[in-house]
Amino acid sequence: MENAAAYVPVETDFKLKHNAGADLIDENYAAQSFWKDVFIRYFRKISAVIGLVLILVISVFAVIGPGMNEYTYSGQELSQKNFAPRIIALEKFGIFDGSETMRTTTGSKEINYYTEKGLTDLEYWFGSDNFGRDIWTRTWSGARVSLIIAIAAAIIDMVIGMSYGLISGYFGGRVDMIMQRILEIANGIPRLVIVTLLLLVLQPGMLTIIFALMLTEWVGMSRIARAEMLKLKEQEFVLASRTLGAGNFFIIFKEVLPNIIGPIITQVMFSIPTAIFTEAFLSFVGLGIPVPRCSLGSLISEGFNSFTTHPYQIIPPIVVMALLMLSFNLVADGLREALDPKMKEM
Amino acid sequence: MKKYIGKRILTSLFTLLAILLVLFILMQLMPGSPFNDEKLNADQRAALYTKYGLDQPIVVQFFKYVGNMLKGDLGVSYNISKNTPISQLIQTRLPISIRIGGCAVGLGAVVGLVLGLIAALKHDTIWDSLATVISVIGVSVPSYVFALALSYNFGFKLGWFPMLFSQQDVLGSSVLPSISLSMFTMASIARFTRSEMLEVLGSDYMLLAESKGISGAALIFRHALRNALIPIITVLAPLIVDLMTGSLVVEKIFAIPGVGSLLVTAIQSNDYNVVISLSFIYSAMYIGIMLVVDILYGIIDPRIRLAKKGD
Repeated sequence: MENAAAYVPVETDFKLKHNAGADLIDENYAAQSFWKDVFIRYFRKISAVIGLVLILVISVFAVIGPGMNEYTYSGQELSQKNFAPRIIALEKFGIFDGSETMRTTTGSKEINYYTEKGLTDLEYWFGSDNFGRDIWTRTWSGARVSLIIAIAAAIIDMVIGMSYGLISGYFGGRVDMIMQRILEIANGIPRLVIVTLLLLVLQPGMLTIIFALMLTEWVGMSRIARAEMLKLKEQEFVLASRTLGAGNFFIIFKEVLPNIIGPIITQVMFSIPTAIFTEAFLSFVGLGIPVPRCSLGSLISEGFNSFTTHPYQIIPPIVVMALLMLSFNLVADGLREALDPKMKEM
Repeated sequence: MKKYIGKRILTSLFTLLAILLVLFILMQLMPGSPFNDEKLNADQRAALYTKYGLDQPIVVQFFKYVGNMLKGDLGVSYNISKNTPISQLIQTRLPISIRIGGCAVGLGAVVGLVLGLIAALKHDTIWDSLATVISVIGVSVPSYVFALALSYNFGFKLGWFPMLFSQQDVLGSSVLPSISLSMFTMASIARFTRSEMLEVLGSDYMLLAESKGISGAALIFRHALRNALIPIITVLAPLIVDLMTGSLVVEKIFAIPGVGSLLVTAIQSNDYNVVISLSFIYSAMYIGIMLVVDILYGIIDPRIRLAKKGD
């Protein structure tokens, strides 16, 4: 040190920080309810909020969408097949005017069935398919079916997987051993193989699809429930409850379960897009909802047959499905972070 | 270690047997018969049943079946191409599926690693957000949506790549299916690499390495990435399996004559033996991959082995 003389600070070196009001709210230590914390953390994340809004919008349309025009999901009008999307209110902007470009080997030409057939008042908002059915109505009723299947399967999975995992983790020892070996075997079977085989055996329909999905998706849920149970079962509150004379199942479902509801909800959110995907896959293979009912998957597989000539037929169901899967993933991500901010991102 | 590997192999074998049993039972429950041809009379049908051993008790059928399976004799196809051994049907198709699957895994792993690395190294910048957005989309949008989008835009509109698979132009016609299949792998690896790298970069030994004067590429590749790679191996295994199932639809879209499209055809034409054999092959591959990864993981990271022993 060259300059050994120590500097003595004077009063002007210091300035008061103006933080009036800031110290009134103690953000760090104030007792807040857990769910309020979760709520705040969740809504801080933009992507999670976008996901939630998208899910809500799609659900609302899935409920009211099919009733918004005069068409029904199965009503065919063979004279009006393959009409391009037309929305009269948007026609003056040059979009949705009911024309489409046909490509042939000799070149492409613009055609408009509405004007050709003199149906100037008619509109198909998303166009009509190759049986003359309204794609708008079918997309939203398909979204409804897909959502019902996915959510029902996810909830049933939750109940089965959760109970399995909790019981296996709680009792431990030989029970756990046997239950885990069974689970390993169940997990060793590729899911799509089992779903496919099951649907071949059973009559196709909404309930059987839910049943097949239910049989395959519970493994992940039970793993999480078991891990959480192993973490919690040595804690004092479980001991206290047992000392007070609580039975095993009371402890499992009334004491431990409320404490692990967070990770479980997150897992449910993650399994919904998987279920939507599996249902769509089944429809694509030809094992989906029987006609004339439709799901997003069956619409995609119908649209696929003509997707180079009439791409507008496949776009609505694909966009809705991709958005649904995306937003459920976003919501699940947001929930996971909100529920357990310290947890490592997977 | 030997005990651990032995135990894992034993579990796998048992799982395989259980799968065979499940497949067999499910097949017994299937509606319809493989001999739906109306021209057959009762005698001819009975003769066919005897020929394929379908008239024997179920238990005998099952053990015969397991024995044949283990010998590699998968039986013959009933419907798709009459009397062709299934192993022969699969032999020509498996390489095609594996090649496209391999391309997809390779592509997905490399691009995913790069994306994840960028996201971790440029943490909290626009690059990080961009990589995150790409990976969220890749994880949540199913592979056949990508397949359709790619085949419409690059195959149909722009005409850069063929829309359908052809034996003449294997390389060119594998591009689009490989890309669409790799999206999920890419996105998952990117997410995983990002979080692992962030954790490794914040660890004490990185600080030590840095203070020893190691810098730049050596620091990232030799010290950080190597440690981050260990857990990434575990996600790769289930991803490969997902790929096999994802390939079912993608193979249909691009008309690839692979195993996936064979399974779809078999399902639709009620060809029991083919469905059973392919399900068995899928399951066997799945179990094999899981086994290899578990053992590899045990070798790489001794803590896993010890934890399992205490379990």
